Amino acid sequence: MTINRLRAGGIGLAAVVLAGLPLVSDNGYLQNMAIMVFLLAVMASGWNIISGYTGYVSLGQSAFLGAGAYTTALLSIHTGVSPLLAAPAGGVVAAAAALVLSLVGRRTRGIAFVIVSFAFLELTALLVSNWSSLTNGNHGLALPLPTWDRAYLNWPFYYYLLVLLALTVWGSWAIRRSKLGIGLMAIRDDESKADGVGVRTDRYKMLAFAASAFPIGIAGGVYAYYIAFLVPASMFDIVIAMQIVLAAHLGGVGTLWGPVLGAFLLEPLNQFTNQNLSGPDAGSWRLIIYGALLAAIVLFFPKGVLTEGAAWLARRRRTEPQATAGTRLTAVPDRLPRPTVIRSRTPQTASAPLLRVEGLNKAFGGLHAVDGCAFTVERNSITGLIGPNGSGKTTVFNLLDGSLAADGGSIYLGERRIDHLARWQRAHAGLARTFQATRVFPQLTALENLAVPSRSFSTAGLTASAISGKEAARAHEWLAFVGMDAYAEHRAGGLSYGQQKLIELAQALMLEPEVLLLDEPAAGINPTLVERLADIVRKLNEAATTVVIVEHNMPLVLSLCDHIHVLAQGHVIASGPPGEIERDPAVLDAYLGDHTPGPGNDPAPSGATA
Amino acid sequence: MGTLLQALILGLLVGGVYALVASGMNLIFGVMQVVNLAQGGMLILSAYLTYTLWEATGLDPLLLVVITTPCLLVVGWATYYIFIERSRTTDASMALVTTFGLTLVTKGVIALIWGNEPRSVTPDYANRSFSVLGLRFPQAQVYACLVAAVVLTGLYLLLRHTWLGQSIRATASSSEGARLIGIQVRSTWAAAFALGVAAAGAGGSLLSVLYPFMPSSADHWIGLMLSIIVLGGMGSLPGSVLGAVVIALAESLTSTYVSPDWAAAVPYLAIILVLVARPQGLLGARLREDMSRA
Repeated sequence: MTINRLRAGGIGLAAVVLAGLPLVSDNGYLQNMAIMVFLLAVMASGWNIISGYTGYVSLGQSAFLGAGAYTTALLSIHTGVSPLLAAPAGGVVAAAAALVLSLVGRRTRGIAFVIVSFAFLELTALLVSNWSSLTNGNHGLALPLPTWDRAYLNWPFYYYLLVLLALTVWGSWAIRRSKLGIGLMAIRDDESKADGVGVRTDRYKMLAFAASAFPIGIAGGVYAYYIAFLVPASMFDIVIAMQIVLAAHLGGVGTLWGPVLGAFLLEPLNQFTNQNLSGPDAGSWRLIIYGALLAAIVLFFPKGVLTEGAAWLARRRRTEPQATAGTRLTAVPDRLPRPTVIRSRTPQTASAPLLRVEGLNKAFGGLHAVDGCAFTVERNSITGLIGPNGSGKTTVFNLLDGSLAADGGSIYLGERRIDHLARWQRAHAGLARTFQATRVFPQLTALENLAVPSRSFSTAGLTASAISGKEAARAHEWLAFVGMDAYAEHRAGGLSYGQQKLIELAQALMLEPEVLLLDEPAAGINPTLVERLADIVRKLNEAATTVVIVEHNMPLVLSLCDHIHVLAQGHVIASGPPGEIERDPAVLDAYLGDHTPGPGNDPAPSGATA
Repeated sequence: MGTLLQALILGLLVGGVYALVASGMNLIFGVMQVVNLAQGGMLILSAYLTYTLWEATGLDPLLLVVITTPCLLVVGWATYYIFIERSRTTDASMALVTTFGLTLVTKGVIALIWGNEPRSVTPDYANRSFSVLGLRFPQAQVYACLVAAVVLTGLYLLLRHTWLGQSIRATASSSEGARLIGIQVRSTWAAAFALGVAAAGAGGSLLSVLYPFMPSSADHWIGLMLSIIVLGGMGSLPGSVLGAVVIALAESLTSTYVSPDWAAAVPYLAIILVLVARPQGLLGARLREDMSRA
């Protein structure tokens, strides 16, 4: 509480001081420095949206500064509008440029994206300097001089950028606490998983890129007017892009105030070097200082002042949730959480199977992992998918949920053919899955993990708060249902493997799926947890959720499933109720024969008690 | 037809030098998955070293490769232990940004020592050409391409046929496996990194004869190296030779048929197009990390 109050007080005080500064002091040096701080803070906050929240590290952010600056300059030169009025148009053009970059970013991630962003910056710089009929190329572009009274000096620039900074931080805060923000952080942690729980990652990223570039473009317009003369090299400057990255890291990447704080720490250094190092060597020293500082901060202080400071405070005050060690999982409640939103279920055609797979094919090079696979899953059943290692079970799951594209064949959910749909569309249609190697969003809390799944997409819906009351209540109910409610506020990455499995299951259940695909839910967890899992699956099934399980724990499969399909070499070699399957000689030959004791005479403890 | 042939010849000759310039970055990425943008600074540093040695001694700048390469080997080795080793524990994207920081530092140091004016190394054959069937073979380009071929062959043989090369390739394929069979992974990484920087050293000497250079040229060369290894497939040495030739030809043709101003855009355009359309490059294994789990 006191920390929050302290922070609020500090921010309030800083705001008052900054708002009053030009009124009490006409020190031009100070005002200039403040203007440059605001500019850098706006750019770093913008960068933070795509790179801090979303995890797409951009080394080309100054392209948006340049785009905004040139747009504003050209508009005001050709139409006579004041650059201060034209600057928002610069923001729009910068956002449009960012959308182009995000289209490129659809297919590249990680280091590939860093490289693309660098290339993007250099390419836009070349475009602007070569398109000299419009931009006057490397000869530069002069803006009109300010028209206001000299007595006001830099006031308009100062307040314009201060307000822009306030709005940018507010926007960043609003994004962070919205559905959009939690989706972006999920993308940062595991993009394809986010796709799989129904997040339209492409749209989210486009919005994030545009939101990131828009304020930078406006700031670029104001900055252009401030310095009054534009050349491509000083706008589309890789060193500015580096300063942005540096400022955000200094303060704390992914935090709300970190980039702002970083700018306030970094820019005075910038001014200091400008003042104290003059002559031809000044530029060289700045390169050395920034380069070394960047390397040093990333290597030795990667989390920044805010994050490291908060961690230090937390260590001193032990404000972390206390429940961790020794907290027992709570019992599975008898009643399921009541679904609050009933999805439009697929039409209940009386006898049709819920999931129908026909002639499914998938080859990796010469290896036919799935080869003419066909099976059905009846509504309200628990269907097992078993087979020896390498028989194609997980590949079938990957084809079902769309993480892989099939080479041939068709998949029907109810009457609807879904094999051409994108992953998020399948999630929206009612398909949810868990992974063999559990995948949760490690940096989000258990509760936030449950807020990511999305059953529908609307741009307006993105502005809703990340975990609203109703949804939070439902998430808590599902967490309680898997027995993990005590861990709601814990970061998922810090939980044990078994606990993560339960979180992932609860996450899938937030989609209120019609079909739940469980990939080896019992692998690598202790027998008590296996029992618990069986219990959960049964209860879900009683509440009309259809479950498909891939599992090697035969006693569990035999006791749990109503129907089993046996896969070998990518196609179904046998289907039937458990009693039939365990006696089928073909199955025994392909699978059960070598691995497990004969049916009936030595059931493993977990299966027997379940 | 003559113009086309001439453009192709120039492209091929330059391609050989590009291949050497990019080989170091490619080797380092192949072995330790670090995209070392510091190569840009190293390359220019070597060009300046060549310039100073050439002015002082009058020796042939292309033969100075023999001196610059070991110098840069030492620089690379030290850089590995001071910065790179530590950067491997952080996020891969940020490690990449760090290496760019190193290029900034190198640029600053070079500017302090040599100043910001463009320099060029001009041995007496710099402006001479061989003429064959009416086609022009600039002598500097021909010699530089030959030296590049020799150095690249040496690097290839080193990686294929020496104990060090075997360890490097084993470590590249699985550092854990290499550790288990008794390879000193840490020193192998250091050696691979140093070798990569040394290759940039050799490349720097060659380019000092072919192009004027100044500290800020580093950015241009970083773009070029990236485009070559992205196009050829990151981590594939034959791929980077192919990528180098393709980029050089594309530059040469753009410069002839469009305008020299736009030739500089070729590498950047190539990066974006390749990473969007075929992320694994022409000959490479997949670079995408988002498909590896699932």
